[in-house]
Amino acid sequence: MTVAVVAREELPIRSEEDLVRVRRLARALAQRGGFDAFASAALMTAASEMARNTWQHGGGGLAAIEEVRDGRRAGVRMTFADRGPGIPDLERVLRGGYSTASSLGLGMSGTRRLVDEFAIDTRPGEGTTIVVTKWTRR
Amino acid sequence: MTAIPILRLGNVLLAAVHVDLDDSVAERFQEDLLGRIEKTGAHGLLIDISGLDVVDTYVARVLADTGKMARLMGARTVLVGMRPEVAATLVRMGFGVEGIETALDADEGLAILTGASAR
Amino acid sequence: MRIAALRPLAERHMDAVVDSFYELLLGHPDTRAFFPDEVTVGRVKRLQRSYFLGLFAGRCDLAYAQDRLRVGATHERIGMPPKWYIGAFRKYLSLLLERIVAEIPDRVEAMAAFDSLHKLVAFDTSLAIDAYIAANLDSLGRQQAAIRELSTPVIRVHDRVLLLPLVGAIDSHRAQQVMETVLVRVIEDKARALILDIAGVPVVDTRVADHLLKTTAAVRLVGADTILTGVSAQVARTIIQLGVDISSMVTRARLSEGIEHALKLIGREIRPIGDKP
Ligand SMILES: Nc1ncnc2c1ncn2[C@@H]1O[C@H](COP(=O)(O)OP(=O)(O)OP(=O)(O)O)[C@@H](O)[C@H]1O
Ligand SMILES: [Mg+2]
Repeated sequence: MTVAVVAREELPIRSEEDLVRVRRLARALAQRGGFDAFASAALMTAASEMARNTWQHGGGGLAAIEEVRDGRRAGVRMTFADRGPGIPDLERVLRGGYSTASSLGLGMSGTRRLVDEFAIDTRPGEGTTIVVTKWTRR
Repeated sequence: MTAIPILRLGNVLLAAVHVDLDDSVAERFQEDLLGRIEKTGAHGLLIDISGLDVVDTYVARVLADTGKMARLMGARTVLVGMRPEVAATLVRMGFGVEGIETALDADEGLAILTGASAR
Repeated sequence: MRIAALRPLAERHMDAVVDSFYELLLGHPDTRAFFPDEVTVGRVKRLQRSYFLGLFAGRCDLAYAQDRLRVGATHERIGMPPKWYIGAFRKYLSLLLERIVAEIPDRVEAMAAFDSLHKLVAFDTSLAIDAYIAANLDSLGRQQAAIRELSTPVIRVHDRVLLLPLVGAIDSHRAQQVMETVLVRVIEDKARALILDIAGVPVVDTRVADHLLKTTAAVRLVGADTILTGVSAQVARTIIQLGVDISSMVTRARLSEGIEHALKLIGREIRPIGDKP
């Protein structure tokens, strides 16, 4: 079924405070979509991880958070885009446990497990765009 | 910037996190806690996170690292009040829980730290 | 040819088309059962007439689509299988074809009229099927929720000790459900220990073992301990051969041993009556 966008909000990611803003918006949309506590914690965590990567690795960028419907379910779709260095070693990153920032390297692989849909477009030297969607359960 | 208050109860330091922990608040919290252990020589550290509805891997790592650092300084750390959805999310992401001591709530955590409960 | 131009023709033949349509339905024992009495037949015929005329409204907007979706959902609810209204749509078409051919002498024009009607009916059919599938998934979802609840029966064996006897196969969907249910119950009951009995789980492979480990880890994070019981010789062999790290797991072969261990955690023990403490 086709996905309809009910509402859309964009937030720049330029500072640490913006990460909190992204998380708050994700929380508000999870509530409006009727997500249960587990689903909304997953959504907020995914938002936090992706926004932090955009800021920390991508040199800042933009988050677009949308309230979506597909006829039967409500959902939240989040897009994170930056014009940073891109991810040359994508396969390794998606496997998890790999970090260029001497961190845990769980952000990307973990987020993928928390959401229902995960798409990434990354080009070395051009930037990275990640789209994740989480739906209500029934 | 919001600071998280730290209370002292005998040999134990208590802190309840309620604010939306952004990265710099989390880092400053860690510094404050370690500073207080140094100053007071506390043997126990109880961190109540029942007020947090989201703990991403960054904050989780700061909390876990704080526990390890406190241990190096001779203080035992117990993390209490983690919500079910936060626990499930961290585990699903593959976050390892080794080396983190936990308890259901502050009462229980305090009982562990004061030796009233053998664990 | 615009569908609205066919409306006069449709109005003229409405009663006859609807009547022969129901003759067919009432003549067949399977469909006959859906119309228990004359009152029902009268009511559905009235509905059918407005549905029929609606086809020729020449308006194919959201309201129209929603109206059609409602029709599909209603049929799912009363348990009428889609083959019947696919058949019904076909019957409609052939009844109308007869009349179009009789009334529109020009062959090309008649074909065009029939073609636009066919398009519309095909659209209706697909909407009805969509709605049928959606409604079906809905009730399936409700059934699954009920089954899930039944399949995660957390039992309070003692103050602050919970037991979950897992029975049946565990896929990742169910594993997540188990984890969530268990975590919520641990908090609600202020449990100190959770006994996870896997004697009833037929196959323990790496994935199941990984799920069990994750549940154990999550339970630890909220402040309780997990004791895995019902570990058969075969399961033990599998887990070790698969190289699963079990250093953080407390396991016991039998449930009774698991209960003893859990009680020890809350400072209790089982003793024969008369024994001195
Ligand atoms: N937007 C991005 N632009 C460029 N590189 C990125 C981007 N996002 C992730 N990466 C790369 O992928 C690696 C893994 O990301 P991931 O979020 O999984 O771990 P991390 O950010 O290093 O650590 P953490 O576990 O704290 O999130 C990063 O170290 C970085 O090299
Ligand atoms: Mg990251």
